[in-house]
Amino acid sequence: MITQEKYRSKAKKLLAEGSVKMVIGYSPGSTPDRRRPVFIRSFDEADQLVLDSNCIANLSGYLVSEGLLSDEKHVAIFLRPDGIRSINILAAESQLNVDQIIIFGFDTNGNEVRALTGEHAGEFSEFIGSIKEHPPEKSRDPLLYQIEQMNPQERFAFWKDEFSRCIKCYACRQACPMCYCRRCIVDSNQPQWINTSSHTLGNFEWNVVRAFHLAGRCVGCGNCDRACPVNIPLRLINSRMAEEVLDSFDHFAGLNPAQEPVLASFKKDDSETFIL
Amino acid sequence: MTRCLFSNKLENCVTLWRSAGYSVIGPVRKDATSSYAAVEHAADFDLGMVLPDRSIKELFFPQTEPMLHYTIKQQAINTEEFTPPAGKRIIFGVRPCDASGLSIDDPLFGWDYKDEYWFQRRNESVIVTIACTKADDFCLCTSLKLAPDSTNGSDILLRPLENNNGWQVEELTERGREAFSAIAELLQEASEPTAPLAVVPEMFNLDTCVAWLQNPENFESKFWKDISMRCIGCGSCTYLCPTCHCFDIQDEGDTYSGIRRKNWDSCSFALFTMHTSGHNPRSTQSARWRQRIMHKFNYFPGKFSVNSCSGCGRCTRQCPVDMGITETLQKISTLHP
Amino acid sequence: MSELFEPKIIAFVCTYCTYAGADLAGTSRLKYAPNVRIIRLPCTGRISPMFILKALQKGADGVLVSGCHPGDCHFTHGNYHARRRWMVFRSLLDFMGIQPERVIFSWISAAEGGKFADLINTVTEDIRKLGPFDQYKELIRETEAPATL
Ligand code: SF4
Ligand code: SF4
Ligand code: SF4
Ligand code: SF4
Repeated sequence: MITQEKYRSKAKKLLAEGSVKMVIGYSPGSTPDRRRPVFIRSFDEADQLVLDSNCIANLSGYLVSEGLLSDEKHVAIFLRPDGIRSINILAAESQLNVDQIIIFGFDTNGNEVRALTGEHAGEFSEFIGSIKEHPPEKSRDPLLYQIEQMNPQERFAFWKDEFSRCIKCYACRQACPMCYCRRCIVDSNQPQWINTSSHTLGNFEWNVVRAFHLAGRCVGCGNCDRACPVNIPLRLINSRMAEEVLDSFDHFAGLNPAQEPVLASFKKDDSETFIL
Repeated sequence: MTRCLFSNKLENCVTLWRSAGYSVIGPVRKDATSSYAAVEHAADFDLGMVLPDRSIKELFFPQTEPMLHYTIKQQAINTEEFTPPAGKRIIFGVRPCDASGLSIDDPLFGWDYKDEYWFQRRNESVIVTIACTKADDFCLCTSLKLAPDSTNGSDILLRPLENNNGWQVEELTERGREAFSAIAELLQEASEPTAPLAVVPEMFNLDTCVAWLQNPENFESKFWKDISMRCIGCGSCTYLCPTCHCFDIQDEGDTYSGIRRKNWDSCSFALFTMHTSGHNPRSTQSARWRQRIMHKFNYFPGKFSVNSCSGCGRCTRQCPVDMGITETLQKISTLHP
Repeated sequence: MSELFEPKIIAFVCTYCTYAGADLAGTSRLKYAPNVRIIRLPCTGRISPMFILKALQKGADGVLVSGCHPGDCHFTHGNYHARRRWMVFRSLLDFMGIQPERVIFSWISAAEGGKFADLINTVTEDIRKLGPFDQYKELIRETEAPATL
């Protein structure tokens, strides 16, 4: 409540003095525990803003909507730590200018909401670094251990079963702040690398490509997992990939706006034990 | 006294139907999702859910379906058509909104060209609907002038008994009668009262909305932009919708052989209207959302005299950003026509 | 004796090193298993994971990816980039249940005709032991089958 009031007044102040053109936040949804993204443009509208532990969605994807930032005006946005990491990646990949973004940072613990200190992406780097060093006590998904215990055939069968339900709506892609490509690889058909149809093969290929494109970029916000209408556990693949880049290249996605993208950089002494 | 089917006979029904040559399909929960799927035993049904996550349309209009196989050898082109799978089937435990969805799409799939993939399945399927005794916050059949016991699209309507131990049987079509004659010995005359139907509050006045949509001035209204700013264009509303029927034809293969397939498509996608030139006449998400609403409540009824929405609420239930038909029409109903 | 399974293997190689190595193997008249179809690309940096997926989609039982040794890239560091990508892609495939033995990576220089011939032989034998990639082929067959419901 206190945090909500704090940010509401801050939103009002920024909008009234014209220092931001919009505040992207959360408003009440169609049921008591749903929150919906809202775009506040004036002082009066700011009372629609709510902030509580139901505000889960990572809103940073809206920042790269076509034309939003091209007038070089400022936009304020409510972000959890993972959202701030997304902004850092978007900046590192030249998709936005962090100077235009005022961050209303928050985090939750149970039902408690607390504000994060800082306003611009760069000011959170130390905080994000501490998340890398001391990951929160969220235990690793038990399913991950189970999958690792399986032999390759069992693993293949596990994913085949999961992907057989995929309807290729691409909600996972649309919901992901990192999936900003104007033309996704699955939408280009000259050449057509992977099947567009949603038979299990096409679904498998799609999910492999998606996971690969997000390796080292995914911040684990869970937008994709929550958006999937057939509840495929996409989080498992994403977190496996995040572990991989951390273990192999000490890369924690979204540390700061200047971080080099992990798959667009290299070290001469990168591990290559698997290469014959 | 009315004819009733008691739940303890359901397993026998499934057996009888199967031995009479029907495959049996019904609401099933598997992994993390629920859908209408084939069963071998009555115990596989999950009849307790409000409605399955996935709509019934995929049993008639699958997400991907092969149409023809081609081979090209020197100058000769050979094609071989796929036909939809044949065989009678009983779809048990359908929700009235899903059944209505099928009847809404019938005229569409038959108006100019008779889509055999749809109609062969339609003609071979018996829709056994169970009236709803429970609803959730998203159900909106009543707002669409339908009801928890609508019979549109159904061959049989079952009304749950008060004790939750069976259903009163209403035979609606010849196809339904035939399917139930196979299990006649299991039906009993009884005078048990039926359970009260689910209460689904009306959330907007449909006529007011339709009038607003029909006014050409509102096509360019600012309303569209405001209501759909947060839409991320994921299309899951259209893919889960029992009445959305758009598809795309894709050739998968190469110069020598391949398969032509019919795949779901959605007006929520930017690619849906993208021209080869790169020009996109529906270039913004708000124009796409407008299309979805206009198509369902203006263009479609203009052509087929029925709204292309049966009030299942899946669009809102599933939307990652909490949009949906309900919110939009609720807001439209408060605007001046 | 039952007929020996002949695996179909696709090799994506860079033109400056491994392709030249293969050439050398040929001109040196070294014998190696005929199971590999070679596809030549300008650099390992150009070998997209899409190629590997495509090969599997078209029914390959195994894929070999090979280029210049680190430090020898004709374009200075294409292979360094590729190495990172493979590392990640390989672990992704592993997590998805595609045995790492089916997708092999190697460095072979223009001078290593012998290594090329040996590698092709080993890889062919290894994949022959694994057998055809039935699980993947089943997915492919499914795409050619009529709808089931
Ligand atoms: S892949 Fe999923 S979890 Fe990762 S950043 Fe994208 S939406 Fe978030
Ligand atoms: S959101 Fe789920 S069903 Fe849709 S394309 Fe992604 S994985 Fe498939
Ligand atoms: S309304 Fe919701 S479900 Fe439909 S396309 Fe937009 S974001 Fe997706
Ligand atoms: S609303 Fe859109 S996807 Fe649905 S039937 Fe109409 S045009 Fe097609």
